Amino acid sequence: MAKKHELIKGNIDSLLLCVIAQQPMYGYQIIKELERRSQGYFKFKEGTLYPALHRLEKAGLALGEWQTLPNGRQRRYYHITEKGLNILVAKRGQWLDFITAMNLIIQPVSD
Amino acid sequence: MLTVLSNYLDSIRDNLRLDHSSEKEVIQELETHIEDEIHELRESGLSEAEAADTCLTLLGSAKVVARQIYEAHSQGSWTQALLAATPHLLFGLLFALNWWRGIGWLLGMLVLVLIMAVYGWWRGKPAWLFPWLGYSLLPVVAAALLLLYLPQSWSWVAILFYLPLALWLLYAITVRTIKRDWLYTSLMLLPLPAIAGWFIAVEPVNQLPEHWLQRMQDFAPWIGLTFLALGVTVATFIRVRKRWLRISVLVVSGLITLTMVAYYAEGRLSILAFLILMVVMLLVLLSPALVERTLRHSG
Repeated sequence: MAKKHELIKGNIDSLLLCVIAQQPMYGYQIIKELERRSQGYFKFKEGTLYPALHRLEKAGLALGEWQTLPNGRQRRYYHITEKGLNILVAKRGQWLDFITAMNLIIQPVSD
Repeated sequence: MLTVLSNYLDSIRDNLRLDHSSEKEVIQELETHIEDEIHELRESGLSEAEAADTCLTLLGSAKVVARQIYEAHSQGSWTQALLAATPHLLFGLLFALNWWRGIGWLLGMLVLVLIMAVYGWWRGKPAWLFPWLGYSLLPVVAAALLLLYLPQSWSWVAILFYLPLALWLLYAITVRTIKRDWLYTSLMLLPLPAIAGWFIAVEPVNQLPEHWLQRMQDFAPWIGLTFLALGVTVATFIRVRKRWLRISVLVVSGLITLTMVAYYAEGRLSILAFLILMVVMLLVLLSPALVERTLRHSG
């Protein structure tokens, strides 16, 4: 049976695109947002977040930009790109179809 | 920042093997993340040491994080792959089309190689630079060999003046390349075993230079084919992400090209010479990893 972290690993790109589609965010904020929205379900090794973000950026699905805060600190905010939005729409459609089909099969049949 | 956290970032930096600007950005991003995390953990009531421990556990192994970030950055575009393969393809065409005897073509090639090597070095040493850099060092080696073949008085000039200077130049460039990533040194030195193989195969023993030229003429299409194979290797190297795959590509290419040399040289390469070349090839391609380790331990 697939472990939880393997399920998350397989869907990490969709999760990240979903979160940054809402608003541009920096790494730490993304982790907190995923945790909050999933009510604590999505907790993963934080170090693996950055390879995933950089992979999305390399693929042209996200864009990282440094911003200087009023206190002088710098943070890298990730925005979703046009290409990323298109991919997200397609993935969301696939995921919803998958959940619908899974629910039809997995739910107990009522007589 | 606590020493354990600094050590963690140093470990990531050591294993990233990215160009300087990308490396700086990655470290800065992780540093900001650690500061945010520590700040929140401290606010939740943890001591500084407890917060640092928790933060490191949440981040995970520095080597794994560095390797994954490397794999996210390592794959070059098709344009970069073509650019990296170009010097091999040009040298391949030089022999395949028998242009190697034209001094104009050779000079043109030399100028192009030097321009590309200087341009790439100046632009922050991108992955495509290293094959060009390897060819730009060839004239230095060739001049040393020519000086050794000249009359005895010239040999002394080579031994006293030229060779130390040439060795210093080769050493300086190799060390700078290893500091960037030892795999790029192997990429730079990739043609060396095949060139040595062909050199042994065509070398005249007690024969006149005309015989040497004739033999070069006979072998030229096969020499060209060897360089074309190296071009394909380099393009594949640039396109794959994982380090172990990149190492495999280089070693397999070394085995194939030396086998090609032995096969097409029609018996001019003895089994002993072939085996020695195989060992030299493995040393040339893999020893930069040991040098890198030594350089790191010596600080």
